[in-house]
Amino acid sequence: MGGVIDFFTNTIQGLWEDSGIHALFADGGWKNLLMILISFVFMYLAIAKGFEPLLLLPISFGMLLTNLPMADLYHADLWQLVDGHVDYGKVLRDGGLLDILYLGVKLQVYPPLIFLGIGCMTDFSPLIANPKSFLLGAAAQGGIFFTFVVAGLLGFTAAEAGSIAIIGGADGPTAIYVSTRLLTGGGAITTGNIALAAYTYMALVPIIQPPIMRLMTTKKQRAVKMEQLRTVSKTEKIIFPIAVTIIVSLLVPSAAPLVGMLMFGNLLKESGVAARLIDTAQNALMNIITIFLGVSVGATTKADQIFSLKFGGVMLLGVIAFSLGTACGLLFGKIMYRVTGGKVNPLIGSAGVSAVPMAARISQKVGAETDPTNFLLMHAMGPNVAGVIGSAVAAGVLLSVIG
Amino acid sequence: MFIHPTLFADTSGQILEEIAEQVTTKPEKILQGTEKMDGTQIAAMTIVGLAVVFAALLILVIFLYLSGGIFKKAGKQKKAEPVKAAPAPKSASAAAKPAAAKLPPKAPAPAAEDDSEVIAVIMAAIAAMGAADGKQYKLHSVRQVTRRGSGRSVWAQAGLNDATRPF
Repeated sequence: MGGVIDFFTNTIQGLWEDSGIHALFADGGWKNLLMILISFVFMYLAIAKGFEPLLLLPISFGMLLTNLPMADLYHADLWQLVDGHVDYGKVLRDGGLLDILYLGVKLQVYPPLIFLGIGCMTDFSPLIANPKSFLLGAAAQGGIFFTFVVAGLLGFTAAEAGSIAIIGGADGPTAIYVSTRLLTGGGAITTGNIALAAYTYMALVPIIQPPIMRLMTTKKQRAVKMEQLRTVSKTEKIIFPIAVTIIVSLLVPSAAPLVGMLMFGNLLKESGVAARLIDTAQNALMNIITIFLGVSVGATTKADQIFSLKFGGVMLLGVIAFSLGTACGLLFGKIMYRVTGGKVNPLIGSAGVSAVPMAARISQKVGAETDPTNFLLMHAMGPNVAGVIGSAVAAGVLLSVIG
Repeated sequence: MFIHPTLFADTSGQILEEIAEQVTTKPEKILQGTEKMDGTQIAAMTIVGLAVVFAALLILVIFLYLSGGIFKKAGKQKKAEPVKAAPAPKSASAAAKPAAAKLPPKAPAPAAEDDSEVIAVIMAAIAAMGAADGKQYKLHSVRQVTRRGSGRSVWAQAGLNDATRPF
């Protein structure tokens, strides 16, 4: 009889010790609990507040899954460098579901595929009609490099500073692409951390940008009406993606995967002969990749890996990066206003941060506040799509300098 | 790089491991990722980064201006030809004019798009409105509204407002 009771208590004790509840209250379990609570915050932002729900929801749910103790969906230790590289054989052998999905992030497959879909949806004709817009798209990347200064001075390592700075590109796939390559594990910051900041602030663009725009421009500047853009021929639209791919890839080869796939998608669109491929690239494929990317990037925010004051630091520097990008774009917009004798509305400069099409809509909105008959949307789309190319180039620069 | 052909020529089953090496063994970089940076490194990185981004996009600007110039020229030449064929439809619009003249005398159609159809549609809309509450209206004049500053018609303005009101 005593043996049965012993067996019973041992089994119950074993089950209890193997359970997640026990682990939550064991040593360091509070960190998991805290990360789960943080994931609830992001889920709330995505569901109730509509913050980029298509990405924040998968990311925050990945965050929840990875922080459930003992569930073993994702193993941060598998991604640690062994003799300078990740042991992919071990990942395939011992990895959980989210480890396997994370392969696509780590091997940099997902972000370029997302760019393919974005390329299919982007109309570059406002940029082709007004090539000056490219300079505004370049200027807004100042947000990346000035944030790099701030992060560097605060004592972040080069890889961390680069990953934080790229948040200023306001481009989720680019931020993931850069940070997953730079952050090789072991540090306090993860790709998930960067992605959370990037997508949160992209959703907050309508709140972050307008005050800066009003502060930096005069009423007279905001009221400037710009000449109507010329129409762009089909041939030009077809040549554009091919030329951009060649020029950018030759200049900054490390930007080639992002820019190449973006432009490939755009060529599919503009060629007008590949309707089926476009349909898949911008719908089914992009949605599948978004799910894989979101949930596995969210999984990198494992408590023992991530939890530190640096999480807050990244969130803080992220908003600085967005603000600096906006300010740099506006500043260059003001320079163009001067140089062209008042023909360029500086408000389109802030659209140079690449959050497409949100940033361009903000330019439209702030412009219309000053004069309801002023329509800046198409003018702002030029810098906006230029910003996508600009941040991909900036990403290439960061990747080729920082090792 | 998109594809490394040498990786796939390998048949010894070591492909994954080699991918791992390719991806993670990086060539010597200027800044060591795991180290903190000093002031000069930070400044150099910032200046170089901005310069490269501007240079790359500036080259694209130049390319677009050059190619845009060529296409604008080609576009003008094409446009020059159809102009000769234009006079023919004029006679058709001339035939429509007497119809417009039959309308109430105080109803001068807008000069630019003198179209009796448009006026008929406006009258029909007003008549339909009036019929609803048993009243009859007489259309005295139809004038084009030019809004100061915008240069767009009311309809274009309304359409634009609709399309650009995201929030």
